[in-house]
Amino acid sequence: MKLTLNDRLFEVPDGLTVLEAAKRCGVYIPSLCYHHKTGPAGKCRACLVEVEGMRGLQTSCTVQVREGMKVVSNTPRVLAAQRLVIDLLLSSGHHDCLSCEQNGDCELQQAAYYLGIERPTFRIDEEFKLDSSSEFITKDSGKCISCGRCVAGCNKTVVNEVLGFGFRSGSTEIIADDDLPMGSSSCVQCGECVQLCPTGALSDKKAHGQGRYWDLEKVDTTCPYCGVGCQTTLHVDRAKNRIVRVTGREVSPNQGMLCVKGRYAYEFPSHEDRLKYPMIRRNGQHVRVSWDEALDYTADRIRTIVAKHGPDTFSAFGSGRITNENNYAIQKFTRVVVGTNNVDHCART
Amino acid sequence: MLNQSTIEAIQRKAATYPERESALMPALEMVQRENHNHLTRDMIRDVAELIGVTFAKAYGVATYYSMYNLRPVGKYHLCVDTNIPVYLSGAEAILTHLEQILGIRVGETTADGLFTLSEVEDLGSCGTCPVIMVNDVYYENVTIEKTDALIASLRNGVLPDPVDESYYGTVCSILLKNRGTANAQTLAVYRNRGGYQALSKALTIPPNELLDLVKHATVRGRGGAGFPAGMKWGFLPKNDPRPVYLICNADEGEPGTFKDRQIMQYDPHLLIEGMSIAAHTIGSRKAFIYIRGEFEWIARILEVAIEEAKTAGLLGSLDIVVHRGKGSYECGEETALIESLEGSRGCPRIKPPFPANVGLYGCPTIVNNVETLSCIPYVVEHGAEAFRSVGTLGNYGPKLFGVSGMVNRPGVYEYPLGTPLSTVLAAAGGVKGQLKAVIVGGLSVPILTASEAETLKLDYDSCIKAETMLGSGGIMVMNESVSIPRVALRSIRFYAHESCGQCTPCREGSLVVKRLLKGIVDGHGKTEDIDTILAICDTVIGSTLCPTGDAWGMPIRAMIRKFRHEFESLIR
Amino acid sequence: MTNAIEELQYAKVLFVIGSNTTEAHPVISYYMKRAVKNGSTLIVNDPRKTDLTRWATLHVQHKVGTDIAYINGLIHEIFKNGWAREEFLLNCTENPDQIRESVKDYPVETASEICGVPVETMKQVARILGEAESASVCYTLGITEHICGTDNVKTLANLQMVLGNIGKFAAGLNPLRGQNNVQGACDMGALPNVYHNYQPVDNPAVSEKMAKAWGVESLPQKPGYKMPTMLRKALDGGTRILYCVGDNTIQTEPHMAHTIKEIEALEFFIVCDIFPNITTPYADVIFPDTAWGEEDGTFSNTERRVQRVRRALTPPGEARSHWWVMQELGKRLGKDLGFHSANAVWEDMRKTATSYAGITWERIENIGLQWPCPTLEHPGTGFLHREGKFTRGKGLFSPTKWIPQAEPPDSEYPIVLSTGRRLWHYHSGTQTRNSNGFDNIFGEELLEISPEDAEKLGIRTGDTVKAISRRGSIVLKAWVTDRSAPGVAWCAFHFSEACANVLTIDRFDSVTETAEYKACAIRIEKVSDGELLGVGIRRQARP
Ligand SMILES: Cc1cc2nc3c(=O)[nH]c(=O)nc-3n(C[C@H](O)[C@H](O)[C@H](O)COP(=O)(O)O)c2cc1C
Ligand code: SF4
Ligand code: SF4
Ligand code: SF4
Ligand code: SF4
Ligand code: FES
Repeated sequence: MKLTLNDRLFEVPDGLTVLEAAKRCGVYIPSLCYHHKTGPAGKCRACLVEVEGMRGLQTSCTVQVREGMKVVSNTPRVLAAQRLVIDLLLSSGHHDCLSCEQNGDCELQQAAYYLGIERPTFRIDEEFKLDSSSEFITKDSGKCISCGRCVAGCNKTVVNEVLGFGFRSGSTEIIADDDLPMGSSSCVQCGECVQLCPTGALSDKKAHGQGRYWDLEKVDTTCPYCGVGCQTTLHVDRAKNRIVRVTGREVSPNQGMLCVKGRYAYEFPSHEDRLKYPMIRRNGQHVRVSWDEALDYTADRIRTIVAKHGPDTFSAFGSGRITNENNYAIQKFTRVVVGTNNVDHCART
Repeated sequence: MLNQSTIEAIQRKAATYPERESALMPALEMVQRENHNHLTRDMIRDVAELIGVTFAKAYGVATYYSMYNLRPVGKYHLCVDTNIPVYLSGAEAILTHLEQILGIRVGETTADGLFTLSEVEDLGSCGTCPVIMVNDVYYENVTIEKTDALIASLRNGVLPDPVDESYYGTVCSILLKNRGTANAQTLAVYRNRGGYQALSKALTIPPNELLDLVKHATVRGRGGAGFPAGMKWGFLPKNDPRPVYLICNADEGEPGTFKDRQIMQYDPHLLIEGMSIAAHTIGSRKAFIYIRGEFEWIARILEVAIEEAKTAGLLGSLDIVVHRGKGSYECGEETALIESLEGSRGCPRIKPPFPANVGLYGCPTIVNNVETLSCIPYVVEHGAEAFRSVGTLGNYGPKLFGVSGMVNRPGVYEYPLGTPLSTVLAAAGGVKGQLKAVIVGGLSVPILTASEAETLKLDYDSCIKAETMLGSGGIMVMNESVSIPRVALRSIRFYAHESCGQCTPCREGSLVVKRLLKGIVDGHGKTEDIDTILAICDTVIGSTLCPTGDAWGMPIRAMIRKFRHEFESLIR
Repeated sequence: MTNAIEELQYAKVLFVIGSNTTEAHPVISYYMKRAVKNGSTLIVNDPRKTDLTRWATLHVQHKVGTDIAYINGLIHEIFKNGWAREEFLLNCTENPDQIRESVKDYPVETASEICGVPVETMKQVARILGEAESASVCYTLGITEHICGTDNVKTLANLQMVLGNIGKFAAGLNPLRGQNNVQGACDMGALPNVYHNYQPVDNPAVSEKMAKAWGVESLPQKPGYKMPTMLRKALDGGTRILYCVGDNTIQTEPHMAHTIKEIEALEFFIVCDIFPNITTPYADVIFPDTAWGEEDGTFSNTERRVQRVRRALTPPGEARSHWWVMQELGKRLGKDLGFHSANAVWEDMRKTATSYAGITWERIENIGLQWPCPTLEHPGTGFLHREGKFTRGKGLFSPTKWIPQAEPPDSEYPIVLSTGRRLWHYHSGTQTRNSNGFDNIFGEELLEISPEDAEKLGIRTGDTVKAISRRGSIVLKAWVTDRSAPGVAWCAFHFSEACANVLTIDRFDSVTETAEYKACAIRIEKVSDGELLGVGIRRQARP
């Protein structure tokens, strides 16, 4: 389809909204309540544009592109409307960007930057609640812009059905169950809401102060827990050699969703109790040895016992927790080097 | 735990809806009624489990609607309306007086647990205000003396019978033709006066012909927007397997509006007949009347009337359910109303899709105002031409005008569309004092100065020409004693309270404007504040999800533009 | 899984059996719940009232270990009402008459008596399944961890074939694999009877092919021992060396006391792991392994999708990848296995595995591919047996018969103990318990007891109780909850302090040698009153 956006002509695929199309064309339109997983909500009104032939301003997240459509997102009228929205949101909250976890990855910040809003114009007196009762999630109503992405996520993508909107008008709030502290609610801490939140209103508690978004290296990987094999991105502090945060990747099979283990059980590699050196038992004690020594010793013992009692007295356990490559290496070793088929793993637990 | 009889009552109620979640609001109401008018967290949970919704949803609903009390209230919950029409007639004095004699502030309960005092928004009593709602009962036209008597009686444990007295008048005798007849709400009297003949006739006409008839008659929607009913019905998809729902909008929430209750309270069968014809036309077998919860006694009148009509076999296969709102102005907006009817918070939906295509439970739905539907029997009985002979070009038929504020005989008056404002004001006994300004279409339309109002004709197109709107036809009259900045502040307080809170400009913008206007009225405003308010209004208009942004942006802007000197004079 | 995970959200009917999906496979449960929200029917069949039942259209609470009787009863009813897909039976299966005949022993009335599900409910379930356009069956260890685990699976396969639900979108037979890479461990040939890609070791042609590919004279053709046999043989000198990688054997195998004896009997015990655990003290040699996050490689998930894992951290100390250890040991034992990098290992594997031949690390850089994927152009396979074409040609029914659990409850041990996983922990807890916060949420194992049993025993939530089986006893706190049916108690094996496997029975399925973790008989005694744990909201994975 042909779409004219700010006087430039683009060809875009069918079935997109103006906002999605603009994104593909590399034209930024502020947007907060829209997320492709939760769909258009039309709530934040940050994405207003002018569409030729349509009366008034239109939310680009809800309007479908039609053949030959002409859209402008940079007229003074549009910018004034967008600016008012962002200004009001900044005025009504408590956006302490300097120390906010979302700094650098915040959609509100990005919109404010684009619109050149340096500080909020208005003053709206509200009380804010900081809920840090949950083990892994912090909920800060001062940064909540009532976009509803978390509510849609909790109810429609992960269907855990914990969050909802409570109260109304200026007092509208995100509530967990019947307005319980998150930590005592039925929240299973899957973190979908955190991942969908455009601001720092919902944040990964354990990541607080652990590294700025831009300083952390992103490494894509697969969750080490259950058989779903969720795709994740690790946010890594290289200098400290630590994973600071995990987010879900929006690809198959999990489309960004995770569970509490996949999202929050990530520190174990850095735990000090790790086994770090090869060890041999001598006189009932495990003593640290070099790899060479451990390997020589092991090879020697295997050689002697197998020579004496036959290869079938050797057995190996692979594992459902280690990589394919390592499992393959174990079976090949067992079959090729030792000469037995005694290899198995606990496929059953 | 809920007691067994309540559970059964809830189950019965739930069975009347196509989807169970719709019973959430009625269930909460029943439980609240059983528990001295208040809901505990546990009760809300029990209801959530019984209906099968999440705790968050049930709690979200309970905290959205202002008529659910999440804190204990006294045996008598006194709700005093202080919105504009009442404000114009001295509600604040009543409220202050109550505070004095009860020795509590607004929001508090007396130590003996007898009284709770609340300040509420528009109660739909604009022609008979001030009004105090005690639990379910309206006490209208109250004065300081009457208030004292009421409290004295309540202290003795007696909830006195309310006195029903209000002014009305009609020159058309279409919508109010039975208004003066005793017992017109009974089926017998209604039929004696020719009722249900239109329905009998309609049932002999094929639906498509009826649709053409209504289209030709051009019945513009009386709920506010003036959109022709026939055209709206024509938008329903053809040959669609989904059921079609008809909803009568009886929310009557627009401040200044108190017209629909005239029909429902005194002539409910007129509405039921209109709905039956409409349902027949659009092929609906399930219809709802969404009535504001404060009109509890009217809801009961409607239920009795529906039962009567049903028993008499008049409704055929049509089922009409009365659904009570629970204190949210926003639920008058048709998509918010649908959400509310589905058991959710009253948050409007994005349009398109329009209800005609995706409405209640995702099915094709028509929402019409009480008055609109009540015009239909006349159209069918007397023909489109007869209807078109009333009113002016493009604005046909009778209209109910609710006149409130500073007139001598506030009330509801039925006149043809296109009648000069001056005629209607004269019918309402004339203005008390010198006319300063008037709002003709409910609080959500721009105010007119006395001179602008002088030659105004009351129809949709003339009002647009005068840069206002006919809206619901709620006419609020202000004389020289009125301070427009105060009116503006009271107005924005209303919208800031009623905003559903979904979209940014309305939710936050109304709060900013409220704060700035408060500053101005309290004497610490700055000149820039006036411009800031104007700028906010300018931007809010046309940029919100539902028309509510316009509904306060335009009136506030008009008040400032037209009476700027009054605002400036408050700035030191 | 015959089908893909994301297909589940489109399933018309979901038949979930023996799977505590919201806790063990949370993300899969999200798709199931979405299906329900979109109008699908969800039937949860579980003796326990798992959290998933909250979203279920129907919760069928059959007795522990009666799956075969229950399912056969359903099949009987399906045949009886003419709901079987005769066309599919005719065209795609080999022996439909045999199954028709064999389920005659299980009219619903008989089945009902065994499984404790009311006849009417069974009829209702059969009708839902029979009338559905398609249905997806999902199961987990509640099906396999029984002495009749293999037959349980076969019975479910029979059900799906009778209904013609194989080879269709959003249908199929879907085992939800427990650990992150059990699928991969099997695929990679860490099994005694097959090489990677399920090539049988006792097939001479295969053996010859592999010997050639691996550059050896010959390979042993006698299938090896399965894990329980390997362990058992330690006691009589049949097993002398155990090379154990990433497996906390003592905590995870049933009947812990016995496992310890077996391990102690070994001549040489090598453990490669990332943490010290209750098994490591018995090791003669310990190799420090790299953990997840420290090495490159791939995992295969339960829907056969091969996905990358990447190195993000430097391993601590001298921890090394296991393929490197194998290479080094091989070298010392006179064989260069050719493992120079994880990718080289993968490439070595790919050469001789048709199902993986098309999967290179490069191709799965961004999104994983589902095997079979035989060529570099192949897009991978979302669901297997398309249009009812089975790998072996036609589908084969294997009739099954119900047998009671190995250790039925009796007057001395009147309660059935079932075990499993919790949302908050994984396996023997080394990963979750060594990550911050998890122990704060769920820091000690709890024995879930039904309110009925608790009342009889005078136990309240928070009391300390002792669970005793013929094999041992553990002391832990009680959680009185209707998640447990009367007569059934439940706990997990995540905590070494109070590990279910002290109690579980070492009786195995004769084919797979999977232990009956899901049923053994115990007795519960109250030890002392305890602090009442905060019992807040009703539905959730913790008290
Ligand atoms: C904020 C808001 C409040 C409204 N309140 C009412 C109301 O109380 N009663 C009503 O009939 N229409 C109300 N409307 C108009 C309805 O949305 C809708 O247009 C009307 O019910 C359609 O009926 P009609 O075409 O018969 O007028 C309201 C609209 C808005 C935006
Ligand atoms: S963490 Fe998951 S369950 Fe908890 S509120 Fe967020 S989305 Fe819902
Ligand atoms: S918490 Fe975040 S996602 Fe949820 S409404 Fe607030 S800003 Fe939006
Ligand atoms: S995030 Fe949770 S559901 Fe996904 S693979 Fe990991 S453990 Fe399984
Ligand atoms: S304009 Fe106001 S009332 Fe309407 S949707 Fe937005 S916030 Fe709600
Ligand atoms: S992104 Fe369009 S309204 Fe929020």
